[in-house]
Amino acid sequence: MRHLFSLLLLAAAGYAQPIVAPTPERAGDAKGEDLAGYNVVNSIETGYRFRNVDGNLGKYRSDVNFGNGIRVLGSYLTINSKKPGSGKLFDEIVLSTQGLGNDPYQFSSLRVQKDKIYRFDSVWRWMDYFNPALTIADGQHAINTTRQLQDHDLVILPQSRFRLLLGYSRNHQDGPAFSTIQFPDGRGDEFTYLWNVRRTRNEYRLGTEFEVLKTKFHVLHGWEYFKDDTRAPLFSPGAGANPNDTATLSQFRRDEPSHGQAPYWRIGIHNEAFKTFTFDGRFTHTAGQRNFVVDELAIGTGRFSAAQNRQLFVGGNARRPVTTGNVTLSWFPVERLTITNHTALYNTRMEGDGSYGEFANGVAGLSFLNFQYLGIRTFSNLTDANLKLTPWLGVYSGYHFSERRIGSSEFEDIDPPTRLERTEQTNRLHSGLLGLRLQPVKQLRLSVDGELGRADRPFYTTSEKDYHTVAARAQWKTKRWSLLGRYQTNYNLNSNSLFVHSARTRLASIDGTFTPKPFLTLEGGYGHTHIETVTGLAYFSLGELIENDRSLYRSRLRQTRIGAQFNLARRADLYFGYHRIQDAARLGRSLMDQAFPLTYETPLARFSVQLHKKLRWNFGWQYYNYKEQFLALQDYTAQTGYTSLSWSF
Amino acid sequence: MAPVIRVWGLLLFSSLLYAQAKDPFIGSQACRACHLTQTQEFFRNAHTKAERGCESCHGPGRAHVTAGGKKDLIIAFSALSPQKSLDNCLQCHSKDWSRNNVRRSSHTQAEVVCSNCHSVHKAATPKHLLANQQKDLCYGCHTDVKAQFSMPFKHRVNEGTVQCADCHNPHGAPSPTWRMGQRPRMQQHAQANEQSCVQCHADKRGPFLFEHAALRVDGCGSCHAPHGSANPRLLNRPVVFTLCLECHNGAPGFGRQGQGIPLQSGSHNMADPRYQNCTTCHVKIHGSNADARFLR
Repeated sequence: MRHLFSLLLLAAAGYAQPIVAPTPERAGDAKGEDLAGYNVVNSIETGYRFRNVDGNLGKYRSDVNFGNGIRVLGSYLTINSKKPGSGKLFDEIVLSTQGLGNDPYQFSSLRVQKDKIYRFDSVWRWMDYFNPALTIADGQHAINTTRQLQDHDLVILPQSRFRLLLGYSRNHQDGPAFSTIQFPDGRGDEFTYLWNVRRTRNEYRLGTEFEVLKTKFHVLHGWEYFKDDTRAPLFSPGAGANPNDTATLSQFRRDEPSHGQAPYWRIGIHNEAFKTFTFDGRFTHTAGQRNFVVDELAIGTGRFSAAQNRQLFVGGNARRPVTTGNVTLSWFPVERLTITNHTALYNTRMEGDGSYGEFANGVAGLSFLNFQYLGIRTFSNLTDANLKLTPWLGVYSGYHFSERRIGSSEFEDIDPPTRLERTEQTNRLHSGLLGLRLQPVKQLRLSVDGELGRADRPFYTTSEKDYHTVAARAQWKTKRWSLLGRYQTNYNLNSNSLFVHSARTRLASIDGTFTPKPFLTLEGGYGHTHIETVTGLAYFSLGELIENDRSLYRSRLRQTRIGAQFNLARRADLYFGYHRIQDAARLGRSLMDQAFPLTYETPLARFSVQLHKKLRWNFGWQYYNYKEQFLALQDYTAQTGYTSLSWSF
Repeated sequence: MAPVIRVWGLLLFSSLLYAQAKDPFIGSQACRACHLTQTQEFFRNAHTKAERGCESCHGPGRAHVTAGGKKDLIIAFSALSPQKSLDNCLQCHSKDWSRNNVRRSSHTQAEVVCSNCHSVHKAATPKHLLANQQKDLCYGCHTDVKAQFSMPFKHRVNEGTVQCADCHNPHGAPSPTWRMGQRPRMQQHAQANEQSCVQCHADKRGPFLFEHAALRVDGCGSCHAPHGSANPRLLNRPVVFTLCLECHNGAPGFGRQGQGIPLQSGSHNMADPRYQNCTTCHVKIHGSNADARFLR
């Protein structure tokens, strides 16, 4: 039991790029206390988090973003009725929170339920993002927004054959950002302007689940409302990005509200009336629509210092209804064999029309209608068989087929649009899967899988065409040891005419955990992921069309992690960890030879001691060291840490 | 009269005794005698609502109790084959919309079934009864994904505000509505049938008058590496222009008309750093309502 407890604690603390706080150890008795027919377990961790950054603060904020200040680092509360169903208003409350008050990543999850009457689930998330966008758009598209996500779901009569489902979700993004505009025309200089991002999505759900003659039905209707009221208020941008361009932009304003709704239906049927056969049907339809306006004003001077004013107005709407139908049949002819067949149909048409009007001084007004259509219809049929030959040997195989038809209508010329071009193309993909699973002894599990796919006409040069995947996995697990080794390779070759796209990914990793003593757990892991892609390119350089160049991208990710967890006299816990990720690819020698060598390491240590049955003191420290060869200006080192008290009432 | 009643009473009592002896279920009280650890904290468990208590999952227990705890007379999940373990849980849990593709999911094919991720008696999370924190369960096997989430730019999974299940359905999903409808296999669908990305990034959902077809045809993954990237916009390449040029190269056979994805115009000079940041001008790259070239 003690081993398991240590393992769980360690796993909670030491995986991936760990975050030092909140402390995984909780204050108070894990068994809780009895109170008025309920059992209560609770722990609240309140403390001070500090940070010290040396180097690029913007990059630190985009990667980590923890700051200074007091906060509720974490809290946990469960209230359960001692006798199932005996609670008056509720039988269970589960509440957990993280980072409330000051952290850039705040989270709370609540469940309240009364047996047989209702179950309410709620998740609230708040994220503070800062993104300087240094290596994209010339650093001009920085954003500093917060995003708040809420999901609330209520199930009435959760254990009965008839259930009522109600739900509400909200997603709100808010904050300043920078974007760019060309002036006086599309070939003009780029000017940065301030953008107030304000987007809200509300979704309401109403549905039911019921059972008739061993057939289960799910019917849900949702209403999604979205509004984007992002606007650029009247602003006086500074100089353009191009020092050789003499155009100026003295005033700029843009309003571009886009409001719309996407009502949708989900209908599901599940039947398992027969012992050797189950049926699942699924139908969905979403009717998406957006109404939009773009109202833009730009005043400045052109390349030859002449006054330039431009006003632009666009209005219209766009529609995208999406319909899917899925049928899954599962057949169990004998106990050891499962055969499934999944048929899916997906159909969507995207179309929109808008009127475009542009007025500029010295130029005749430009006015035209835009229309565009893109339709996609995909049919898939996927058959898989899973056979357990012996208790220690199993195989599975599958054959998957899909056909996708893309039809479109778009104007051949734009500004203004002239001739509408209608096109259609079809792509078929056949793929086969084969897998083997072995368990020669209870502690050891081995598996090998492969997939081979062939498509005849992919849409993009980088899409999957002739691909294969091979993967192997070995896991050894005992009470003290857990070892996992893994290897996988993915290869895709997409060639057409003289152009070739080839992508290869190989990854291998080994991870292990060892618990030699009940008070000590050690863990470590190493993994590498190699990615190589080659793609034929054509582009213009100094007015000349370059047709035979290639884009190369190489990544050599190496991840190392070690950790040790000590439990001292059952009163204190100490954790040390070190995590390093490195892209060891060599920096490219030419413009189209891409690699991004970087090193990112984070050692951390955490100490937690029980001062009293209901009180713990915690202290933690974490160091971040980021280095890249691409743009050394982005490097930073940071120390973050915290001290906190975990208490239980 | 009295002897008649006595005879009927005797008959009724003996038939009750017989019926009880034949009833293979014995009730959860009997389990407590031996399995104290599992039962004393069970009032917190969602399965406490199950009609037959312990025997709802472990099957009838009378024979097991009568035989003094013989292991093969009860359903012990540790001894079950993955397939049987799955079947047992699905007796109750098959009704949910999110689980109706569980039998053909990649997890089931790899013999990763309910008990590999969920722990009914030693759950680390009271909600969903997971054996560990969600991300750590997933990272346990998907070590490459773990490495990607250690990259400087990533979704905030390690920080606890984003969960793997926000985007993925570990119980199996229907065909994706993007790419060729085969892969990726375990993806959540936003609303009813959209890519999971637009659940949060609703502004990228559109519809737009001018759609960037790549989003709808091959999905957000055409350009983005959602788990982690060296690029601040989670792009598949460190800088943007190679990503764009890899498709926009006019290679014959591709695109809507089979004449290639449109090549950039001759006014672009890739030798000039100004043109290497495509999204400086093509700001509405996910779709635009005003400009077919996504300039505004």
